[in-house]
This record gives sequence, C-alpha cells and structure tokens, in this order.
Amino acid sequence: MQSYRQVVAGLAVAMLTALGAQAQTRTLTGALRDSASSAPLQVGSVTVRGTALGANVRANGQFTITNVPAGNVTLIARSLGYKRREVDVPAGVTNVTIALERDVLRIDQVVVTGQATSIERRSAPNAVATVDAAELAVVPTVSVEQQLVGKVAGADIQQNSGAPGGGMQVRLRGVTSVNADAQPLYVVDGTIMSDIAIPSNQNVVTQAAGGSNPALTQDAQVNRIADLNPNDIESIEILKGASASAIYGGRASNGVVIITTKRGRSGIPTVTFRQRLGFAQVSNKLGSRRFKTTAEVDAAFGAGTAARINWQPGQFYDNESFLTDGTHPQRETFLTASGGSEATQYFASAQIQDEDGVVINTLARREALRLNLDQRFGSKFITNLSTNVLHTKAGRGLTNNDNTSTSLWLALSFTPSIIDLRQKPDGTFPENPFTASNPVQTATLMKNSEDVYRIISSYKGTLTPLTSSTQSVRITGLGAADFFTQKNGLFFPPELQFEDDDGQVGTSLLSNSNNLNLNFDLNAVHAWTPGSYSATTSAGLQFVRRNLDIARIVSRNLVGGQQNVDAGTTISVLENRQKVNNLGVFAQEEFQTLGDRLLVTFGVRADQSSLNADSKKLYVFPKAAASYRLDNIWRFDDLKLRGAFGASGNEPLYGQRFTPLTANINIGGLPGLVVAGTTGSKDLKPERQVELEGGVDGTLWSGRANIEASIYQKTITDLLLTRELAPSSGFNQEIFNGGEMQTKGVELAVGVVPIQTSTLNWIFRTTYSTNSSKITELPVPAFNTGGFGTALGVFRIEKGQSTTQIVGTDTTSTGEVLVRKIGEANPDFRMSFSNDVSWHRLSARALVEWQKGGGILNLTKLLSDFGQVTKDYADPIPGSTQTVGERRLAGFGKEASTYLEDGSYVKVREISLSYDLPQSLTSGIWGGIRSARFSVSGRNLLRWTDYTGLDPEVSNFGNQAIARNIDVAPYPPSRAFFFSFDITF
Amino acid sequence: MRATLTASALISALVFSACANLDITDLNNPGLEQLEGSPTASALNTAASGILIGARGGMSGSVGYVSELGILGREVFYLSSDDPRFVTELLIGPLEGGNGAFGGNHWAARYTSIRNTNIVLNAVEKVSGLTTQQKEGIRGFAKTMQALDLLLIINTRDTFGAAIDVNTDPTAEPGPIVPKAQVFARIVTLLDEARTHLQNAGATFSFGLSSGFAGFDTPATFVRFNRALRARVAVYLGDFATANTALQQSFLDVAASLTLGVYHPYSTGAGDVTNGSFDPTGRALRGHPSFVANAQRKADGSPDNRTTKNEKASNVLTVQGLSSDQLVTVYNSASAPIPIIRNEELILLRAETQLGLSNIAAAIADINVIRTRAGGLAPYAGAQTATAVLDEIVYNRRYSLYFEGHRWIDLRRLNRLASLPRDAATHKVFTAFPFPADECLARTPQPSSGCSPVTGQ
Repeated sequence: MQSYRQVVAGLAVAMLTALGAQAQTRTLTGALRDSASSAPLQVGSVTVRGTALGANVRANGQFTITNVPAGNVTLIARSLGYKRREVDVPAGVTNVTIALERDVLRIDQVVVTGQATSIERRSAPNAVATVDAAELAVVPTVSVEQQLVGKVAGADIQQNSGAPGGGMQVRLRGVTSVNADAQPLYVVDGTIMSDIAIPSNQNVVTQAAGGSNPALTQDAQVNRIADLNPNDIESIEILKGASASAIYGGRASNGVVIITTKRGRSGIPTVTFRQRLGFAQVSNKLGSRRFKTTAEVDAAFGAGTAARINWQPGQFYDNESFLTDGTHPQRETFLTASGGSEATQYFASAQIQDEDGVVINTLARREALRLNLDQRFGSKFITNLSTNVLHTKAGRGLTNNDNTSTSLWLALSFTPSIIDLRQKPDGTFPENPFTASNPVQTATLMKNSEDVYRIISSYKGTLTPLTSSTQSVRITGLGAADFFTQKNGLFFPPELQFEDDDGQVGTSLLSNSNNLNLNFDLNAVHAWTPGSYSATTSAGLQFVRRNLDIARIVSRNLVGGQQNVDAGTTISVLENRQKVNNLGVFAQEEFQTLGDRLLVTFGVRADQSSLNADSKKLYVFPKAAASYRLDNIWRFDDLKLRGAFGASGNEPLYGQRFTPLTANINIGGLPGLVVAGTTGSKDLKPERQVELEGGVDGTLWSGRANIEASIYQKTITDLLLTRELAPSSGFNQEIFNGGEMQTKGVELAVGVVPIQTSTLNWIFRTTYSTNSSKITELPVPAFNTGGFGTALGVFRIEKGQSTTQIVGTDTTSTGEVLVRKIGEANPDFRMSFSNDVSWHRLSARALVEWQKGGGILNLTKLLSDFGQVTKDYADPIPGSTQTVGERRLAGFGKEASTYLEDGSYVKVREISLSYDLPQSLTSGIWGGIRSARFSVSGRNLLRWTDYTGLDPEVSNFGNQAIARNIDVAPYPPSRAFFFSFDITF
Repeated sequence: MRATLTASALISALVFSACANLDITDLNNPGLEQLEGSPTASALNTAASGILIGARGGMSGSVGYVSELGILGREVFYLSSDDPRFVTELLIGPLEGGNGAFGGNHWAARYTSIRNTNIVLNAVEKVSGLTTQQKEGIRGFAKTMQALDLLLIINTRDTFGAAIDVNTDPTAEPGPIVPKAQVFARIVTLLDEARTHLQNAGATFSFGLSSGFAGFDTPATFVRFNRALRARVAVYLGDFATANTALQQSFLDVAASLTLGVYHPYSTGAGDVTNGSFDPTGRALRGHPSFVANAQRKADGSPDNRTTKNEKASNVLTVQGLSSDQLVTVYNSASAPIPIIRNEELILLRAETQLGLSNIAAAIADINVIRTRAGGLAPYAGAQTATAVLDEIVYNRRYSLYFEGHRWIDLRRLNRLASLPRDAATHKVFTAFPFPADECLARTPQPSSGCSPVTGQ
C-alpha cells in the first residue's frame, strides 16, 4: 500500500515541477505531402525536435504548432507508412511544406515500449515485430493468428488441425513453460482479451481422455482469439519475450500481442465495401489400401469376409472422399464507414464471413460489428471508445483421438476400402462391420455446434493537462471488458451405429460457458525535454479480474431421439468455476540523449495475484534496456546496437494451490467425500522468466534495405512442476515451483526493395528464426509429458536434454529394448519469403513459409496399420516375406521411431493478384466511387512435405506448452481460393 | 491541474484499497484441511460414505480390476481397435511399472481409497458430536474397507509385497514395502480389530451405506461381511481352521440366493458412475473362446448353465490375430453391480476349507450345491481324491466367479498358472504386476524386486 502512495506522490511532484517559464515564441503552420504524388497526407504528426511540442495533421494535410521557439528549430514529420523526415526551419519562417517518402520497409514505424509509451522503431531497444493492415486480410482467414503466419520472425504459429473456425497456437521465441499456460497475452485496444480454449465436451462420446492420457484437451477446441475480425485490425505489435514484455508483468512470459483496431479520421466520410466469394477443397487425403483379391481380404479380416460383404475384386470405395469431396463455398462481406470532424471521429464496420468446412457438416461463420468512436473535449482531453459485438459459430465435426472408434478419421483407420459406407437410397446407412461406427453416417447425422456471443469494449480517457516546450504530462484511464458466452451443443442421434454401444441410445451434450475479463488501467506519463536529452517517466496500475463458469449437461438414452437434454433418461451435470484477481503496478523511465542516439530505459512491475498461494505477496519484474545509433557506417545509413534485459511471470493455473476433496460423485445417490489425488504446494508462485536480448538493426542503400538481427536467451526458473508422489500415499502428485529451463534463439528479418520506380515496385522480405530449449535444472526425476506412453513415443522432461525431445522404445544392436531419445519436435529453423510486386495498377503478392525439421508422431498411421488399411500396407519389401505395413507393425513396442516422421514443409501460404480499376472507368459507372479493386487470392494453395500424415501442422492435444506434433485422426487440411472486389466511396 | 492530480491519486488509492485482498477460495471443491483439522460430524459421516466411492474406483471399465485380471486370467479379451495395448501389454508383455492404465492403476486407486479410510480414521479421533458407539462403527467400517483394499493390492503384487504404513505426510518418504506375509498379517489384524469395533458399535451406523450393502448395513450384519472377507483371506493363507470359524460367522447360507452378498453398485443417476464393464454389443470386450469350450456338460448334453455368462455375438471380432464371437453378459446393464463377495464364493470357500481340513465328503457336498444350483450339472461323480476334488473346486470357481476378478488369483495361489492357454506364440502368462514407476522412484533405495518390468512365462 505504502509503495502505491509513493508512486502517486512521486507522479504529482513530477508534474508540479513541470510548470516552466515561457520564452518568446511563434506559430508554425504547414502541410505534409506524399513525395511521389504530392497528395496531402491525411494522417501524420509534426514535432519540434528537442521539445515536447507538436501537432497532428488535419484532414487536408495541414498542421499548426503554437509556442514554437523563435530561433532555428528542427521539425520531425511522421506519417504512418512514410519515412520520418527532419526539416530545419530557420528563424522567422512560419510556413513549411514537407514531402514524405513511402516507407515500404517500415523503418520509421512507432513501436510500444510500455503500457503507455512508444518509441520510433529506429530507437527501439527490442526487436518488436509489427504487422499492419496492408499485410493483414490479404487472403481471408477466420482466425487472426493465421494472418500472422510467416510474417513475424520468431513466431511459431501453427494450426492444431484443419478444422474450420480456428484452433491455433502462437509460440513466441520457443518453449517458455512445461505445465503452465503457453499462449501469449492478447491486448486489444487496451482490453486484455481472453484466449482460453473451452473444450466442446465431445470427450463424452470419444472417451479420448478415458484411455492412457487423461488430458481433457482432445476436443479440437478453438482458442477464442479466433473471434476477432482480422479486417478490423490496423496493426499488431508483438513483444516476443520478457525483455520487451516485462511491464505487462505476471502473465507476460509467453509474450504479448498488442492489437490496435482501425479508427476514424476527420475528413470526408469514407465507405468501403468488400465482397469475397471463394471455395475450399481438401488439400490432402490419406488414401487407403487397395485390395486385389478375395484371398487378400480374407487373410486380413478373417475367412469369408469378402463373401459376407459381397465384395468383388476391383471394387474400391474411397470412404475418405465421401467425407470430404467437392468444393465448399466461402464468402465474406465487409463494410466500413469512417470519418468525422476535428472533435469527433468514428469507424464502424460490419462483417459476415461464412466458411464451409471440407468435411460434411462442418462450417465456421462470423458476424461482427464494431464501432470505434473518438471524441475530443477541448485541447486537453480525449476519449476513445472501442466496441465490438461478435457472433461466431462453428461446426467442427468429430475428429482427433478417441477410444470408442467414433472419431471420423479414427474410424477410417479401421475401415478397409472394400465397403461402401455411403447413404443407401432408402436413406439408411450401411452398418460398418469393421469398427464401431460408420464415419460417413456419423458426419452426416451428428451435430457439433459452437456458438459464441461476445462483447469486447474499452473506454479510454486521456488527459493532457500540460504541454509546454519542455514538458508534457499525459494521464490515461481505461476500463475494459471482454465478455463471452459459449454454447456447445452436440447431438448424436440414436440412428448412429455406435449409439447402442453403451446400451443408452442417443447422446446429447450441452455446455454453456461464460467468461468475463475485466481490466482497469491507470497510467501517467511525463515527458521532459529540456534540450540535450529527453526523459519520459511513466507509472501506473492495472487491475485484472477473470471469471469463468462452465456448466455442462450430458444426456443419454434420448427418448424419441430428441436433442433437448431433458429428453434423456440418464442425465449428468458438471460445473466448473474459476475466478482470478490480479493487481499490478509499474513505473518506467526512458532516457534519450546524444541527439536521440542513445536510449536507456529501465522499469519495474510488481504483481499480486489470487492464483499464487500467498495472494498478498508482490512479485517484482524489473527490466532495463539500451540502444545506440550510428550513422553512415560502411554501407549502412543507420546502424543500431541494442540490448535488453527483462523479467516476467507465468501464473499458476486456477486451482493448483488447493488440496481439494472431490464432492461431485455419489454412490447410488449417497454423497461422499474422497481425496482427489493432487495436493497443492503451500508456497505456489508464478514461473519467472528472465530474458536477455541483443541485436543489430540497420538500414542500407538509402533506405532500400533493412536488416534486423536478434539473439536472445530466456531463463525460466520456478517452473510449475508436478512432483509425482509415491502412489501408496494416496495422492498422485504435488504441484510446486522448481527447476530451470533455458531457451536460446536467433532471429533475422531482412527487407529489400530491389526495384522502386514510379510504375514498378518490388519489395522482398525474408525472416529466419531458430531456437532451442534445454532443461538445465530439474528437482524431480525425468518425467513424460503428453503422448500416450513410451511405446508410441512421448515427450520427456529430463535434465540436460532438449525440452522438446521425444523418447520412445528403441532396440539396441544387441536386441535389447529400452526407452531412449528418438527425436526432436522443435524444428531446426523456420524461414519465410514474401514478395510484393506492383506494376502500374496491377499488384501481386506471395508468401512462402518453410519449416525444416521437427518430428511428428504419426499415430494415425499406426492405427491404420493396425486396421491393415494404410495405403502402402500391402506393398512388398524386396527380399522379405513381410509387407511394408507388417514390417512397421513388427517393430511395435520395440521401435517407437517407426511412426516418428520428419515434419519439414514448404507451404505457399498466401498468393494474391489484384487490379485497381482506373478512376476513369469507375467514375464512368458512378462518380461516387473513389477507388475499386478486383483480386484473386488463395491460401495454402501449394505445399511440399515428406510427411505422410494429413498435415504436418497438427496437435491432437490442442495448444500445448510442449506436447504438440502428435497426430491422431485430425481434421484434414484445406486450400482456399477467393475472388474479391473492394470499392471505396 | 491539482484537482486532476488529487482525483487520480484518489482513484488509484480507491482501486487499490478495494482490491488489496485478492484472495479467492476454491470455488469447485471442499478442502482437505478442514476435514483434517477440525472435522464436523456431518463431514466425517460424508467422508465415511466416501470410502465406498473410493473402494469402487478402478473396479469397472476396460482398464478396471475386473477387466484386466480377466484378461490376465484368460477369461476375456479386450479387442480394442483404438488401443492395442490390451493385447500387447497384458497378453504379450512385459508388464510395465510405468504405465498407469495397465497395472499402476490397481495400485494407485487402492491406495487412494486407503487414504480415504485413514483420513476418516484420523478424523474420528478428533470429531465431536458422535457417540462412542458411532465412532466404533466408523472405525469397524473403515478398517474392514482398508483391509479389502490391501487385499486387492497384494492380489496384484503378490510376492513383491506392498506398503502398509501409509498414514503419513504424502510429500514425505513413503512407508516401506513389506513382504507379502506381513501384508496379509496386517489385513488379518485390520479385519479382526474391525470386528471388535463393530461388536461395540450399537445397533446402527451414523453414516449411510450404499445399496450394495443392503442387508449388511448395520454393525451386526456388516460384521458378517467382515467375516466373509476374513474367510477368503484365511483360505488364501491356507489357514483352514480360521477359515472354517470365519465362514460360520459369515453370511454363508446354502439355502439362500447364490447372489446374496456385498456389491459395488453403479447407476446412471446424475453424479454417479456407470459400470464400464458393460459392453452390450461386444465392441471390444469379448469372452475367451475357452470359457464355453471347456465347460462341463449337463445330463442332456448341453453345456454348464454358467456358460450363459457369455452369449454368441452377431459378428466375430478379430484384433491382432485374436478372435472371439462371445459377448460377455456378466454385467448386463450400465447399473449392474460388481460383487465384492457373495454367497456362491463363500460356499466354494467352504468346500476348499473342508478339503483343506481333509473332509472330502463335506467338500463334495458344497461343490454339489454349486454344481446343481449354478451349473445345472449332475452331482460330482469324479475321483474322491484331494487332487481331483481341488480340480473340481477350481473348475467351479472359474465358472461361478467368471469375470469377477478371481481366476488369475486362484490359479496363482494354487500354482496352476501354467494351465492358462496362450493364444499365440508370443503370449505370456504373468504372475504379478510390478510396482508403479513413481512408487519405485520415490524410494531410496528402490525396492529390490518389483521395480523392473515383469516378463511372463
């Protein structure tokens, strides 16, 4: 308490000393123009160097700065998408016109440095990645993370399966935890947006968690950042590690993704309309073994099988195609209106996006509305309202692991191509005699729908009580809420083949989840620019509350096959509630001197959280960073050396601090209390990450090329670990803090403009990143995480070994079977290449991503080998009596590496070609059209991989700190083509 | 300016002071601390009832005690196309200590249950609001249930032994592993102490018992269940004199229903657990073909009535070279209870006891009760030798107690495991599960046996 008072008091002193004397001044006016077209720039700012003076340009490109010192001054002009320019203004001049050059390599962007501060990229002490609107939504996706794939060095962004509607993992700079949350913190216009993934509860039917891995994350769940409309986004800034994200404190160790949405500008109202139509196709299928003779069929499935099912040689039923074939329509309509006056600006948007999945009965749909409103009250106070109302709907089918042979691709793994599973003319489906379900019937008749209604809103007020030539004070208050309700309705009608397996015909599942995130931020920034240096002091506090309530109903034995959960005779219910309170305070100092060449910054954040065993204890996360710029070194116009250090945390998960008794089981209606198996540590605290980052950034050849190279090391201590207790104690495990993990890596981003003429422009960008992670200290014996046991390959956390190593049974040359390392899930490196070429009115863009290495456990293949239906199962091996499939199976239990495959791939992520219609043509149609564009685009059109499963981007267990890359009957990948036109009025 | 500052300072102070106490308790579960620290009578009674939930844990389902012991004892197959390990681990092996679903569970679930009984036994010494008799009732009940759990533990670990002193801090060094004989000695002690407690427990229990204890839900009747367990333990130990006494004090009754006994109940009710060993379509659970093939014939040439515990399925299920067309109908609904001990076993225990006491005629008389009532067979007409009669007892135990978790144990204690069929050249018969890997890792030094994979014969 004392410390907060001191912060506030200190702040007050700083601001009161700000009342400096006023010298002789003048008023400067002027305009910003595009250097190529001479068109006025509608956005931008002009500041007086060495002072806190400045102004934003108005809609006509004009600006006015008052109180400018009378002598020689230097103006710094900036505009989004343009290179910054410094212009000397001699004494006596009161009007200047400044022409700015386009900044295609984004050298002069402004990037965040804290909760309330930002700085020009050229001075930034961290490698903060920025992706802006021009690079987003070129090719539509439902989920926003997919828009970032290949655009950020050091970000590993992969989907968990091809299912429509999202489900993607973002890993920034490698592995950062073993058991804690693995997702970055998302901040959207100041709102801490929830990215939780709530399982659909399909596990009730698949029983995936009933087997040897009890993880309840095999439901192909969507992490909820997918709700956000990518078209609304103006820019995304990514703080990749603790050195940059420390000021976000106890939840920032997986990095922070700061999303800013589009806002209105004063001037002529603008309406844009975008219509896209497209289609998707399955881009890879597994195929199935082709049986040649009845003898082959009978040998595989028992004597008389061919005769019993009336199979004739030559018959081949591609049941996988019956699930996926055809083209699946995609459409998107997006409308925006923006504009405003000097005092009021608005941006409104509406979107409808509709994506048909490639599997029967699957889809993703979103309806989104946004209103962003900015209101200025006089010259000192401005408020920003951001509201977003969303509805997303997904039909995700039934995929991933199961233990009941109901998941579609799992059932296919046991269904030979000798039976036709399609619907019969009488409307019924054939019984699948080879496994428990007919996947074509399951996909056709079942429902798995997810409906999310969400409101995300923030209201920010910024007060600028003081602006003088030497100092300014800015106070920001923000209140934000993110509320959603998620309804999962799953229905398995009595007609399904597997529905009598439990003797209870028909299953209906209903889950309702409510999630509320609230945050209140209060920040104050004081900028002090006496001349030779500038110092920016900021301080603030942030209160965050999260509240989650999941209620689930399982209803079986449905009377009359009704979906309503009250129609079942066997009903069970479950409720899980979570509530979290966090409070953080921070203070930060930025100091810039030597003509803005040297930047030194340091700060500290302290957090308390109800998730820690002691909710009153403050955990302190410091940071410090410096950068120094050099001019005209060798071929560099500008070269910056930077180094940063920072600490951040990763909270325990809700419930980990408790030793619970289970009270929700009864025995024939008789209630009882039993121990739950887990005991919480009495001093549970957050994981702590300390990151060191160093780098060199430079621009070459008059801004025609830039390079950004970083090296980092993250040391994560106090890992949240589970200590396996002797089971004879009656408890399985204790959750405690301990151990140490180190993740190191290198990132490189290069941008080049090989051609830049008035008619032809070519921009080339490439990124490279690699990282590795090692367990350097482990106070518990090596333990397995993820996976299904050593016979199938598992991840093992072991001191001195890679965090992402895969171990499994293996046979030595002497024939001894033992468990040892068989592979590595972390790729060797990841690269991306993008080209933007524009020629006259035509522009083309292509983005290619390359991942080298990364092992995947292809358990789908193992299962289809057991089912004897793998495509190559019956291929002969020269000189052997075994077939390919028999050989693989013979190694089962002895050679887990048989099913470990290389996940290298090259994917053409985005391709687009667009044409801007000439003004003469559009105005011929209707004079109100300001511009019109026609494009064709595609996503994931091509890929090259040796991986024999459906797709090397796979994670049966969803988003995982470590145990991704496990392939068990996932949803297949797809490619999509779009035709679109954009009109601006 | 000053006003703004004051306002912002006030706001921050307000925000902070309103939230200084951020604490949030467990919203989903009651905590253990309260039950350990200051137990109330109602919490203790609920925890006592909870012992039955713990005791039922891990009994049913594909990886349950009944199912896996049935697979080891070649009573059933679990032919799962999703999970090959019901064959690769349980029939081919070796049995691994590291695997929670294939052996480790029969250790962990039982010790969790024992922890429940110990929590109750500790709390009963601190509780207020219960009479001395009520406390004795809780002690007698908890100790009987703990003995049952220990018996199931030593059943799966046999000569490797087990830990018996486990009422300790769970994060401290666990109690030592002691040899099989000491485990049985503890089981005997617990059952006999429990009997004394129950005899001083008055007319009723203070806590509720499940429907599986219908007829055994007062101290006076529960003690008969206690004695039935004591008889089983005595027979396992070859202590036939004690077995004879215990059987007389048990609920053995040749005139009563053979199904009279004590059960783990299941139901489809909300919050309850269903019997996972119910597989009406034979999706994976299949009878071992030898069950019907090896059955004795009735006078009319049809097989032993008890073979109706299997039914012919509409299809042959084949996985990894194993085939069966037999549905297992022992548990014929999701609410079917699993026996803990019942009259039919007691009669067979008495036959074995009489044989052990060299009363062959009395043994045959008991065998005939079962042969005629359960099997529909003619009375025993084989040789009157001890070996032949024991063969006949083993046969009847196999068919009477089919898929109730007995055959593998019986054949092991009678040194007949070699008689089990091996359905493929690679298949093995195992004598015991090893300890879970975590149990070994938590101990220094590790136990000398039971910590490496168990290869079969």
